[in-house]
Amino acid sequence: MSALSLASTWPARATFAGVQVVGVDAGGTFTDTVVIGADGSVAVGKALSVPAAPEQGVLDSLRAAAQARGETLAELLATTDVLAHGTTVGLNALLTGKGAAVGLLTTAGFEATLPMARANKLHGLSSEDLRIPSKWAKPDLLVPRQRIVGLDERVTRDGTVAVALDVDGVARAAQRLVTAGANSFAVALLWSPANPEHERLVAEQLRTIAPGVHVSLSSELAPRIGEYERTTTVVVDAFVAPLVADYLGRLEKVLADHGFGGRLVIMRMGGGVQSVSTARRMPVSTLQSGPIGGVIAAQQMGARLGHRHVVTSDVGGTSFDVGLVIDGAVQLALQPRIERQPLAMPVVDVTSIGIGGGSIAWIDASLGVLRVGPQSAGADPGPACYGRGGSEPTLTDAAVVLGYVARLGPQLDLDIDAARRAVAGVAGPLGLSVADAAEGIVAIASEQMRQLIRRTVLERGHDPGDFVLAVFGGAGAQYAARYATELGVAAVVVPRFAAEFSAFGAATCELRASAERDLPPGSPEQRVDELNALFGELAEVAAGQLGEQPSVSTRRTVAMRYFRQTTRIDLAVDQLSVDQLPALRAEFHRRYEAVVGPGTSRPETPVEVVGAAVHVSAGALAPPTQARARTADIEPGERIVVFGGIEHRTAVLDWDSLADDWTGVGPAIIESPRTTVVIPPGISARLDGEGNIWMDAR
Amino acid sequence: MSANEAIIAEVIRHRLDAINEEAATTLKRVSGSPIAIESNDLNTVITAADGRVVACGFYVLGQVASMHLVIEHLLAEYADNPGINPGDQFITNDPYLGTLHQPDVVLVAPVFHDGELVAWTGSVVHQMDVGGPTPGGMDYQARSIFDEAPPMPPLRIVEAGVVRRDIEREYLSRSRTPELNALDLAGQIAANNTAVAQVQALCSRYGAALVTDVLDRLLASAARLTRQRLAGLPDGHWRDRSYIEYRRGDAAPGDEEIYVIDVIVTKAGEQLTLDFSGSSEQAPGAINAGYGALANYALGTVMIHLCAGLPWVPGGIVEAVQIISRPGTVVHAKWPAGVAMATGSTVHAIRTSLNVCLSRMLQADSTLHEHVLAACQCSGAGGGAMSGVGTDGAPFASMTLDEVSGGAGATATRDGGDTSGFTTSPGSLNVNVETNESYLPVRYLRRAELADSGGPGQYRGGVGAIHALTPDGTPKPIDVLSFGQGLQHPQAAGLAGGEPGAGSTFAVIEGDQLANLLAGDGVEVTMPTSSIQLGEGMVHVVGSQGGGGFGDPLERDPAAVARDVADRLVSRDGAARDYGVVLDATGGVIAAATQARRDELRRQRLGGRVPAAPQPEPRGALAFDHLLAVFDGSVICRRCAHRLSAAGDNHYVALIVERRPVARRAPLGLRYPGAERFEIRHFYCPRCARQIDVQIARIGDPIVVAALPVPDGSADPPDG
Repeated sequence: MSALSLASTWPARATFAGVQVVGVDAGGTFTDTVVIGADGSVAVGKALSVPAAPEQGVLDSLRAAAQARGETLAELLATTDVLAHGTTVGLNALLTGKGAAVGLLTTAGFEATLPMARANKLHGLSSEDLRIPSKWAKPDLLVPRQRIVGLDERVTRDGTVAVALDVDGVARAAQRLVTAGANSFAVALLWSPANPEHERLVAEQLRTIAPGVHVSLSSELAPRIGEYERTTTVVVDAFVAPLVADYLGRLEKVLADHGFGGRLVIMRMGGGVQSVSTARRMPVSTLQSGPIGGVIAAQQMGARLGHRHVVTSDVGGTSFDVGLVIDGAVQLALQPRIERQPLAMPVVDVTSIGIGGGSIAWIDASLGVLRVGPQSAGADPGPACYGRGGSEPTLTDAAVVLGYVARLGPQLDLDIDAARRAVAGVAGPLGLSVADAAEGIVAIASEQMRQLIRRTVLERGHDPGDFVLAVFGGAGAQYAARYATELGVAAVVVPRFAAEFSAFGAATCELRASAERDLPPGSPEQRVDELNALFGELAEVAAGQLGEQPSVSTRRTVAMRYFRQTTRIDLAVDQLSVDQLPALRAEFHRRYEAVVGPGTSRPETPVEVVGAAVHVSAGALAPPTQARARTADIEPGERIVVFGGIEHRTAVLDWDSLADDWTGVGPAIIESPRTTVVIPPGISARLDGEGNIWMDAR
Repeated sequence: MSANEAIIAEVIRHRLDAINEEAATTLKRVSGSPIAIESNDLNTVITAADGRVVACGFYVLGQVASMHLVIEHLLAEYADNPGINPGDQFITNDPYLGTLHQPDVVLVAPVFHDGELVAWTGSVVHQMDVGGPTPGGMDYQARSIFDEAPPMPPLRIVEAGVVRRDIEREYLSRSRTPELNALDLAGQIAANNTAVAQVQALCSRYGAALVTDVLDRLLASAARLTRQRLAGLPDGHWRDRSYIEYRRGDAAPGDEEIYVIDVIVTKAGEQLTLDFSGSSEQAPGAINAGYGALANYALGTVMIHLCAGLPWVPGGIVEAVQIISRPGTVVHAKWPAGVAMATGSTVHAIRTSLNVCLSRMLQADSTLHEHVLAACQCSGAGGGAMSGVGTDGAPFASMTLDEVSGGAGATATRDGGDTSGFTTSPGSLNVNVETNESYLPVRYLRRAELADSGGPGQYRGGVGAIHALTPDGTPKPIDVLSFGQGLQHPQAAGLAGGEPGAGSTFAVIEGDQLANLLAGDGVEVTMPTSSIQLGEGMVHVVGSQGGGGFGDPLERDPAAVARDVADRLVSRDGAARDYGVVLDATGGVIAAATQARRDELRRQRLGGRVPAAPQPEPRGALAFDHLLAVFDGSVICRRCAHRLSAAGDNHYVALIVERRPVARRAPLGLRYPGAERFEIRHFYCPRCARQIDVQIARIGDPIVVAALPVPDGSADPPDG
């Protein structure tokens, strides 16, 4: 291998002050870069993503950031110690169905686990398809039945081998799968979390018969009880593995070719970043990055500014994402799913609905109402105001008509007339003025956004009044004041790097690894010795994933739940002993109420232990960022903006030149080259020491 | 509605759906019980002040579609004493007041704004146990409802926001699983609390008058849209019969009585009438549906099979639907008949028969063709309760939910979903083997898709599944109670000449017989009784039904059959027998042999006569369904233009009928005592031999005139 192996031993210290870190988040439309210099200075870059060759979009984006720093791409890369990257290559493979030809090996008699899919024909469907029963269907079957093979073996619930593995049968099965075209393997045997030996033997055979081919083992990747979700996890992993590995190889090469000698790390769905070798070993962990980077950046911002509860919102072109930080911690999804495929692994909880800047407004004649979405104009042709041939009115067009937005970013010109024409198309039939129709479109979209935030917070039994609403993504700040209305949150904050928040999160998050395993449910008393032994084992696995970098913190958790319940709570513990168990139970009840809601714990119901995990962290990569450097005064502009049907002469301020102690009252517009913040009449706003904009919430 | 209200109405509509969905997720989260979370056996609603349902969730539609029955009862009986006041919540599981059966517990709450009743919110959750003589509350021995879990009339369990401890105890103390019921109750209370508070907030923001106006508008537009859809369909009568078996008390196996669910659907103009009055007299216990169960499942089925793509506002849709039934019948039980097993039997037969009628009706409109669905798995097919001593030495009573794995019906353009469960409980999930093995003293030996169980058709019905388990880690035999139907005959009907999916499987056998049973070697099986024990070394096998097929199986693309054989969803024998497709040793289609075999099968249908070739449909023929059209005053075959009868007359008399034993659609060749009482009737066009219809029938019952066009709106409903 090339320059990579020469690269980069880790800086031999636990914190990374003095290290230059670059975060690059490749999204569907844009690839964003944030550079945090060794001195804490920050520069950003943005470029269109290149779906056919994402590494090209990465280079373009890096080049833009280098330019902002007044240097060449080679100069930037030469001084960069760590490059943290979030990619959608794996996700795209899943979205387009163009992944590997997976061969699945499972326990004989249970080959139907994947196609049966627990009879789920509904969960994960769009809200429109839910009302059309002929469209009810299971998630896509990623492995055809002919490439699913049962192996003679059986482990029981306590890990006992009831039927020994027929090793010769494995060889025959593997040969059959190779003949059937398999170029990636997934292995999910019953009860492998309780006894992984059979899966290990299968992997040995596979590696002998098909050397170099990816093998996903459920006991390594998803050692959770519940064979269907464990199976889908290894299948998705094996499905995306060759493409992700291939992409990471290409990326390493182009970066090295341009002089990068630092360490490349990859965003993981469970939070934090991981080494490239770990990402190659479990590529499923790379499937989601952008939304997760944003939530992590919000968590860090909350920690710096003293906000323990944060709800995040990200308005994209076609989706609206909401995440939660509770008690200073990023939350993991209880039943994670990606593209309707469930995953049995830690995934940062981000909830999405299909509403964004490209959502199309239309008149539902049957109900006599104006509706927005779920159809979207996407990025091409995009909203009418892009001037690329789109003619249907979108949310972005409504924002243009109202005067919220006056520029679209470096590569797009704004066609205001096209936006007006498009919105007029729904205004006319409803007997509304164009401005009133635009107000209506924003109101209806904001309502859907508000409801998702409200549900995400309330479903966990929390009071929105305890939360700060963080707003990011390119368009979020245009609508935040609208959708924050009536939510009852404490305040609304638009971070200084709102438009590149995901890349910022990638640059500033921790290098982390974790290992976990489920146990057959049982009382804590029966499990103490087993847990202590397990912690030792898991710590080794996790440390192995971290690679050469020493961990600076280790967190052991035990997963507990009420008897037969499904809501599991992870509790931090040290070495366990029987006399600690009463305190552990008390902590369970407390945390249960914190997660599920006040008054919900039932101390009389038995509590069971169902699993354990060890999380290790090598600490954050980037140094603390510098305070913002205010640019020279720019004379405020003015434009007409419509609020509540009334045209307001509205001041237009330049974000970067605002005074450090700026405060103001709407109507006002604050613009940066990549973000527009809309402050409606009567809303007070201020800048904080970091350069974030805060708005009162009503 | 003013222009701005078009926007506010949309905001409120979204808010109502969001509030209702949030109530369901709150319920699941706070409860956390396995039935609530694993199988999603629950639902939530928001209704208008008078109880008409405006918002309902996508879980078990049949639990809530007719929630107005419970609320109307409260308004009529409780307004003065004990009163209906802000902060109150009422609990009931009385099937004679509108719940499905005793285990489905309803909790509803009035929503007041400024002292005025503006709406109701509510939920239903299935409980593992609500008391009565047997675990799970279902008993073959029941002579009346007094031998089942005693139903609880509506009780004001929450008063002015405070839970009444005495009533809570009264409710929980009945149950064998009070700790699980307590979790669900807490979840239901929390769900109502959040929904009530948010509807109130909506009233504060927009004014109660506007909110109730939007509720009324949603109800009115759903009614209007349903009527519009009906108006676009031809007038006519559609009829179907389903059969369920039930053995009184301790009669011998094989002596099951047969109960008929009979429905005549009449569509005239904008109105739909569902007439169940031809159904059998009620049974003494267990299988009967109360009127509430009939109304819930009838309306839920109308939503799924008629109202696809329309707003699912049951309180509006119901205005276009009239239900006719006779008290004292199996679909409309009279107190004190037992009803606890209705959800495992009669309600699914109601759904299946209505499904078939409505899907036949939709076929007339080519724009609605995509919504046509043959029947999915009918019954719980082997579902039941298990009880005994668990691995921890403590008694247990639980369900495996293995029955949630049957096939979906084929559509007019696609195969039915394999192992995808019920349409009326779309959100229900099958449980992982490892989860069941964690909590039950059993070990699964097999869980597999069942080849040939999907109903043959041009589009195949989805296959069902077979599950086999054995005791593991218990000192005592496990008691197994099955309430599965469809053992003696198939139930999931096909459409347009598609055939029914395979029936259910239930067996408790010695372990060494499993291989023979799976190989179809004719292992002896008996109908389930109330006292079956699964001892050490024995195996319990349950199979879920396949879905019905669509269209004549001889018209299925042979390549699709070959693919099914490669996927082991159809056997090689099945390919030749059911589809007339002949494969070579590698599984490829032999085209000439297939054509010859299909020709031969068509000749057999005509008793050896050579069938006529297809003819173009005459111009001006008006499609009545997929296979029949009305032309020049006659009903004609759309494949060969053969005139079958005068329009409005019974065209079935012109069809060739072939009666086949039900064994042909029995899974694994199993034969239950009593199966000889049933047959499958195949109806062929006498000229071109196309299969026009396939019916499951008790031998001796008259032929059902399944579809009867009424060109002038004057013909009488079909008899026979």
